[in-house]
Amino acid sequence: MLIIKDLHASVGDKPILNGINLEIKAGEIHAIMGPNGSGKSTLSNVLAGRENATVTSGSVLYQGKDLLALAIEERARQGIFLAFQYPVEIPGVGNVYLLKAALNAQRKHRGLPELDALDFLALVKDKMKLMEMNESMLYRSVNEGFSGGEKKRNEILQMAVLEPKLAILDETDSGLDIDALKIVANGVNSLRAEDRAMILVTHYQRLLDYIKPDFVHVLVGGKIVRSGGPELAHELEKQGYAWISDEGTGVAEVQPKS
Amino acid sequence: MSAAIQHYQSEFERVAPLLPWRDSAPWHAWRQSGWSRFAEQGFPSTRHEEWKYTSVAVLEKLALSCTPVVPETMAWALLKEKSVLPDASHRLVFVDGVYQPKLSSVGELPSGLRMGAISDQSARDSIRLQGLLEQAQRRTPFAALNAAFMTEGAWVTADVGVHLDEPLLIMYVATKGRRAMHVVNAYEAAAESTFAVVEQYLGMTDEPYLVNEVTGVTLEQGAKITHVKIQQEGPRSYHIAALQALQKRESRFDSHSFALSGALGRNDIESALVEPGAAVSMRGLYRVAGRELQDFHTTIRHDSPDCSSDECFKGVLNDSGRAVFNGKIRVAPDAQHTISQQTNHNLLLSDQAEVDTKPQLEIFADDVKCSHGATVGQLDEEQWFYLRSRGLSSEHARTLLIEAFALDIVTGIEHPVLRSALESLLRSTAHV
Repeated sequence: MLIIKDLHASVGDKPILNGINLEIKAGEIHAIMGPNGSGKSTLSNVLAGRENATVTSGSVLYQGKDLLALAIEERARQGIFLAFQYPVEIPGVGNVYLLKAALNAQRKHRGLPELDALDFLALVKDKMKLMEMNESMLYRSVNEGFSGGEKKRNEILQMAVLEPKLAILDETDSGLDIDALKIVANGVNSLRAEDRAMILVTHYQRLLDYIKPDFVHVLVGGKIVRSGGPELAHELEKQGYAWISDEGTGVAEVQPKS
Repeated sequence: MSAAIQHYQSEFERVAPLLPWRDSAPWHAWRQSGWSRFAEQGFPSTRHEEWKYTSVAVLEKLALSCTPVVPETMAWALLKEKSVLPDASHRLVFVDGVYQPKLSSVGELPSGLRMGAISDQSARDSIRLQGLLEQAQRRTPFAALNAAFMTEGAWVTADVGVHLDEPLLIMYVATKGRRAMHVVNAYEAAAESTFAVVEQYLGMTDEPYLVNEVTGVTLEQGAKITHVKIQQEGPRSYHIAALQALQKRESRFDSHSFALSGALGRNDIESALVEPGAAVSMRGLYRVAGRELQDFHTTIRHDSPDCSSDECFKGVLNDSGRAVFNGKIRVAPDAQHTISQQTNHNLLLSDQAEVDTKPQLEIFADDVKCSHGATVGQLDEEQWFYLRSRGLSSEHARTLLIEAFALDIVTGIEHPVLRSALESLLRSTAHV
């Protein structure tokens, strides 16, 4: 589904990604872990198309196509979804309006008719139950005045409604208490499917206790320095990122926050 | 005497015999006095502080006709589709400055509430208008010109305790170019009375014209008036207006201005809070594109203790559009416990657009809560990216964000019918 080859990217003049290689197949869940400043968020942003990061070399193939050539909205319509680390507040744009406009933009792209208001509401309300969200949140402005946990739940609600092919969850666990984390993980797990891949970007192993990845990659200094199964995450939790950094990557020692 | 003033002088001599109450000596004196004030001041130039960013030099050269002419017959159906309140039961319609009884429908008003064209008043009854308009007609040189030429307008009065929920509609339609229309509006709310009035100005000609308008508002104790003014003027139009409100004890004046189109618009809006407990809310939206200019000069006078004012103006500026916001708040020495809030937010959508914004606070009392803030910014890149990352096209996302910024200004309108009418008007007229 996704093949990243020797990807280099900079933010401003600063190189952040220094040769990422990664292959993700449908149905797989990959966790990307790494210390702060290792390039995790930049990788998410490059995949979603945010213009603040510039790709300097390398390629990304998504479903056999050159992903980097597609506009932000094209990527979304072809099934890429980024759950934001910091979901954006948009006063004046209704949550329900955005959900409906997003779903219909994607349906139109796939040649499907737009959903009428009743079918749409039934679908959304069903997904809201899953995320244990109050219906009143539909009629508020996008993320405006939402608590940290509500914002993250709202991201997963959007994902549940849009049913992406490739979901990138950027630090979805950050700022969540344990109850909210369980609800979010529940939502994500319910979206596991054979034709859907997910990338979990996270600093901590905690999220991976609730969402079991198939593969874990460790990103340090803009490169994947180690890949393995779920056990790698446990190893990291025990020994800290210094354990890997020490192995001659030339990157300064960074401890995960406890 | 400049050529422009000479032109209006000869217009004044020519149209005097055609104007309402021409045989009334007090009106003759009134018009003469207005004319003298105008002749003395002339057209303002950008050397005047109050007109620093707004040049009327082109207007001055236009030599517009001030002679009232009977407009061509028009069907209500044509106006109805452009009306912000197509189903209003009480409406007055003026075309090219002339009252149109056939297009109007005063309907059945509650007893104690009157609405009508000023030209329908007898000379004797109309004298009271002078008191209502005097302050406003002294505000600017254009307002003085209005005092000399005023031909038509709407007059609404509510007796003690009278309430009307349904908004009254007043439409001013311009169909002919090269003309100046000098119109007035007068609104009087007696103690504890309430009504809402919507003025809609529609330009239906691409030729240049001037709407020179003056409004006087009086609110007695506990009265409440909601005033909405919508400018949808023609592409080469000039709309120049002065509004003066006088607020007594515990009265409430809600003013909403929407300057949506027109080559040049200038509004001087003032409310004087002269007795304790009065409250004013002054809100507005200006939208400019092409080479349009909208200028709002507002003044809120806290002349008495325990009054409050809440002011918010927003601007959306595209292309080479320009806007001016000058918000003066004056708190008199004995106006203690004043609460006053002022904001002006501008969204610049192009590199050529320009806004000049100036808060002007003159506070002479010490126990007050006054705040003000102005911002000038562009579309938020993060919000734009967020919407596009959900599959919305870049155009759709942009429109949505601009709409959200602009529509925020109507959320303060308490009246549900008005609020939704204005929401759909703003959506349907968005030209960016």
